[in-house]
Amino acid sequence: MQHMDHDRLVFLALGESEPDNGERAYLEACEHCRSELENLRRVADLGAEGQGLHDLPDPPDHLWQGIVAEIRAAEQLPTLVEPRRPVTAPDASADSPARVLSPPARKRARWSGWMTTVATAAAAALLGVVGTAAVLGGTEPAPAPSPQQQTVRASASLTAFGETPPEVNGAARVLDNGQIHLHVVNLPDVSGYYEVWLIDPGTMEMFSVGVLGGGTDALLPLPPNADLERYSVVDISAEGYDNNTAHSGDSLVRGTLTG
Amino acid sequence: MGVTVGHAPQKATRPVTAATPQEPPGPSEDDLAARFRSGDEAALREAYDRFGRAVLHLAISTLSNRSDAEDVTQATFVAAWLGRETFDPTKGSLIGWLLGIGRRKVIDRLRASAREARVVETVRQHPDPAPSRSDPDTVVDRLVVADELARLPGEQRRMLELAFFDDLTHHQIATMTGVPLGTVKSHIRRGMQCLKRRWEVDGATHGPRPAGLPGAR
Repeated sequence: MQHMDHDRLVFLALGESEPDNGERAYLEACEHCRSELENLRRVADLGAEGQGLHDLPDPPDHLWQGIVAEIRAAEQLPTLVEPRRPVTAPDASADSPARVLSPPARKRARWSGWMTTVATAAAAALLGVVGTAAVLGGTEPAPAPSPQQQTVRASASLTAFGETPPEVNGAARVLDNGQIHLHVVNLPDVSGYYEVWLIDPGTMEMFSVGVLGGGTDALLPLPPNADLERYSVVDISAEGYDNNTAHSGDSLVRGTLTG
Repeated sequence: MGVTVGHAPQKATRPVTAATPQEPPGPSEDDLAARFRSGDEAALREAYDRFGRAVLHLAISTLSNRSDAEDVTQATFVAAWLGRETFDPTKGSLIGWLLGIGRRKVIDRLRASAREARVVETVRQHPDPAPSRSDPDTVVDRLVVADELARLPGEQRRMLELAFFDDLTHHQIATMTGVPLGTVKSHIRRGMQCLKRRWEVDGATHGPRPAGLPGAR
């Protein structure tokens, strides 16, 4: 059967004219053309109903933060339940400076550090290589190990938390000598001081590691028995001088230790 | 001429899914889909910037509660990200896939609240309350068609907007725009074909169903 001219179907679908008697009888008989006409009508209706969809309002900011928080939590789950590799680095890699990669201090994209951490740590583990950090040196790290260099046992990139502007970020590295090295940039001015915490993301139990001074770097001792697999979240909070030793609830940056 | 135009046809229409009006759709979108699928976290933010509005609109216009709508939008992006490997670019666009996930979550939410309503109000006469909300499939279809409309070449889009939004006949469009009638017709025909094709690919009635997303709820 010869089908109806498609232009004519479009014409009818847009209501430019009514089908004449012949067309009506034909459409009764031809399932193909009838359904094509119905579909075109549907599309025309949908098109007409779509006016105003081009200026939809932006979602509220907290929606994005909720997405990030939920994904972050979901992606942490495997690392919390999987059996972990021993935290101590194999002797071979600790002894072979030739295999030490460049320092892990990398510039991160505005907000993206939170997932890169996992990938970086995984890649490092795959290679059996531990990164080194020039601790508080501030100069180009020498390729050969020197007394200032320590093997990194675990690291976290710290990203802005909650209302904190995204340019506030940094990194935390747990060194083999039991110290944690913190590097944070663009911290906002606060009336009190910055305090560093390690948090158990499962229970939100935490302990204070110490206070971050005015600079961008700090080296703080960790309790020798600190369970970093449990207290895996590094948090820096804004604290007031209020004689209250508890966390203020005002977290500026957070990150999860991996490695 | 006496033709009143109810919208501003000279104003560039922004695709439903465009982050900024001047951003050209096209190759960058394929690239975004590929990066999203491969786990590039920056692509998640980009996808959210482009498509977050449409997903939220779907949820708001189908659910009676604003906070439910935001929950569903959040859950949609989380599920999409965690299940990104199940996205098949050959079966539709990223926005179509996201709207498909959102649609399913909306339907789940509607069913859950219908169950709650039945439990709470066992004597209710009408089993399906809240008739004022839109049907999720229709909202998805509208978004998909509106998105495609905004992506059409300028002339095609303009002609179709005059036909859809201002309800002008082809003759009136030709008179108003000074474009020959035959050209108006062919623009409209081609434009309609594009809309229909896109609707068939990404619409709720035809579009691909998102594959099972493990643990993504």
